[in-house]
Amino acid sequence: MPPSFEVIGFLGIMAVSYIAAAAAALLFEDDRARRVTGLLSAAGALSGMGAAALGLAAGGSSVLELPSALPEAALEFSLDALSAAYLLLIGLVGVPAAIYSLGYGPERAVGAVDGALGRHSTGWRPARAIVPLFLLAMSLVVLANSVFTFLLFWEVMSLASYFLVIGRGDSPENLSAGRWYAGMAHAGFAAIAAALWLAAAGTEAGRFEEIRQAAGMLAPAARHAVFLLALLGFGSKAGVLPLHAWLPRAHPAAPSHVSALMSGVMLKIGMYGLLRVGLDLLGGGPPWWGGLVLALGVVSALGGILSALVENDLKRLLAYSSVENIGIIFIAVGIGLVFQSYGMAGLASMALAAALYHAINHAAFKGLLFLGSGAVLQATGTRNMEEMGGLIKRMPQTALCFLVGSTAIAALPPLNGFASEWMIFQSLLAGAAIPYPLMAAMMAIAAGTLALTGGLAAVCFVKAFGIPFLAMPRTAAAEEAREVPRTMRLGMGLLASACVLLGVLPFAAAPILSRAFFGMPGLSDTPAAFRLGLVMEAGAGASAISPTALALCLLAAGGAIPLAFRLAGSSRALRRAETWGCGRAVQSPRMEYTSTAFAEPLRRVFADLYRPAKTLDIEFHPESKYFVRSIQYQSRIRAWFEDAVYRPLFGLARPLAGTGRLIQSGSLHLYIAYIVAALLALLLLARWM
Amino acid sequence: MALLFSKMWRTGLVTEDLPSGGDEGLHLARVVEERTRRLLGRSLAIREVDAGSCNGCELEISGLNGPVYDCERFGVRFVASPRHADMLLVTGPVTRNMELPLRKTWEATPDPKLVVAVGECARTCGVFAGSYAVVGGVDRVIPVDLFVPGCPPEPLDILRGILKALDRLPRR
Repeated sequence: MPPSFEVIGFLGIMAVSYIAAAAAALLFEDDRARRVTGLLSAAGALSGMGAAALGLAAGGSSVLELPSALPEAALEFSLDALSAAYLLLIGLVGVPAAIYSLGYGPERAVGAVDGALGRHSTGWRPARAIVPLFLLAMSLVVLANSVFTFLLFWEVMSLASYFLVIGRGDSPENLSAGRWYAGMAHAGFAAIAAALWLAAAGTEAGRFEEIRQAAGMLAPAARHAVFLLALLGFGSKAGVLPLHAWLPRAHPAAPSHVSALMSGVMLKIGMYGLLRVGLDLLGGGPPWWGGLVLALGVVSALGGILSALVENDLKRLLAYSSVENIGIIFIAVGIGLVFQSYGMAGLASMALAAALYHAINHAAFKGLLFLGSGAVLQATGTRNMEEMGGLIKRMPQTALCFLVGSTAIAALPPLNGFASEWMIFQSLLAGAAIPYPLMAAMMAIAAGTLALTGGLAAVCFVKAFGIPFLAMPRTAAAEEAREVPRTMRLGMGLLASACVLLGVLPFAAAPILSRAFFGMPGLSDTPAAFRLGLVMEAGAGASAISPTALALCLLAAGGAIPLAFRLAGSSRALRRAETWGCGRAVQSPRMEYTSTAFAEPLRRVFADLYRPAKTLDIEFHPESKYFVRSIQYQSRIRAWFEDAVYRPLFGLARPLAGTGRLIQSGSLHLYIAYIVAALLALLLLARWM
Repeated sequence: MALLFSKMWRTGLVTEDLPSGGDEGLHLARVVEERTRRLLGRSLAIREVDAGSCNGCELEISGLNGPVYDCERFGVRFVASPRHADMLLVTGPVTRNMELPLRKTWEATPDPKLVVAVGECARTCGVFAGSYAVVGGVDRVIPVDLFVPGCPPEPLDILRGILKALDRLPRR
């Protein structure tokens, strides 16, 4: 079906806006160009959302092929319900991030951050031009309808984000983050390319329809190989646990609105790829596919939040929390695939809808939190939570937004994290209906782990909000922090209201969730297993909850309790006393809970996992060791797990890379010679065939 | 984590039976429990303040929490902050250094609050009376609801004092 005129229009406006935004940033230096770039990016994201809404409303899929000389390298796009859902997700974070970028990173922040924990690249013109290209590449990845198109824009997306991570390339931290990211992104790309080419082996032009039809004829071994390679490649982009190593390095290095896009959106593109290949193109597989995804999800969820808990760098904490949330999403995807392979179509639809719901919600609150952390970074010049404190009095609106995000990510009702995690729990509990005890038991274990993860996430975000925002400022920089510009607050406010609306009014997401998987093999087209109305129902009415009513009750209780006290005639005498500081005469920030101390109990409990290393140096008085001159305590947690996994890989890769360097001389002449040689070889090959 | 669990497993319960003739203690604790439930709707939270004691009184107070009396069973809890407390249990003569902290502790305790001063020193400064380092009895610094005499008072005396002080809470 060809796309309607309106859809083409919206998509055209989207592409043109993004490209114009990039051009404006590249061609002009002044402040006005900055504003034009931001606004055009927002317009592009908005028109992408418009096209997605139309596509969802129309149903089915509309295919658009751009003319090209080579049929194998034709650019072909299609807008179906799943692409539309992800296009909406890109817009959900893209619009606020673009607005936010208008105020982010002016001279003050760049100067303040220099020499602190990281150097900022937002003031750098090419970086501003890359953001809209990054958004465009992500939009085109989800719209791609052929192997070539998909891989092309996937690579553009990876490269764009790589350049955003390294920024100007003058900070060793960013360069190292960039190396990790580039290495893992390209290893992932190789796996994805192998998977897609393997799946498209028998087809003419590698169109997705052709693959879909041919997938039934693939040998089982080939199908398994395609799935496993896809899981490896997309998993590394999504950041599931053993493949997550780039994430806590790259996210803090990138400017914050880019972190929001990378964490909120790009990780979900990895999930999109897995759904597109595993579910749509291959049509699902044996139960162990889903089981594997589920197991990866469980490990990532728990491992991610445990790493986040002991982190003192606000943006690294958020990055690890992204690993956790991707884990939660993978849990739901895994359940969906398991149900689908057992032919339980209704439950499969519910689990996958829950996965998508959580993906959208995570985009909203993690985007919000990264924008918030950027605001804090700009105001204080540091990402280290131990150097913040008391920011709620200095930047109240940012604090409110950050609080909304923290509450949502801790899955507290009535915000959006609660709604989607509730659905995931319902899907897990419905797993008891699986007739195979081993798989049913796995569901139960996953449910238990998810509950533990939820609890730990709450602790983690009490820390992430409490340590920077509450109590007294710990440094002069925190003392002098000021509220950020209005555009930044607007960006955060948009996402904060999205968090509230998606949670309180789940039916707002219902049209997306119930249609996104329309026509996918093995799923029911009329998802009777769940209903998102004023009341959310799961498991065909087995359990129900109404976040809307919950929110109303909370509001009512918030008003009714004081009213009841007043009616009961309780004393309204007000007594002001200072904050309790253990009776000390003068309060100082040294009395405050530090971020390390807050996580210490859990660090003890999970000491076997963290393996903390500490050094304690005490200098005693020469006269008596009962008098201490100085105490120095140092505690570090090394990611021993990453060392164990990646060090052997580096050991393998280094000699190979050394060999590869022989042909990479860096001389342009040599490269031109390579091109000529390749061209000649191809011509000869064509002649010979 | 394994260490923690094995420790909990190996230690088990340490509460002992009261020595013979200790039934009064049990009875008192039950009455305290019943009365606090009626008055507060929950257990009693106590913040202990050592305003300069020789720690004799502390020894007896910690007896209330030891394996023999184990008052936490009956909902008499010692808490870590005056913000959580219903009652301040103050010992010792108030030294100059502890005057301000004691007043701040009292201010930090939410209303309605009770103050029980434990031991002879808390009332008369005992052997420390007249010392340059001492401000005076506890009632010189904050209003006291009840004094528990003794040098030091036994755990049972302290429990009786707590019970008696509860009568001063406003009725519900």
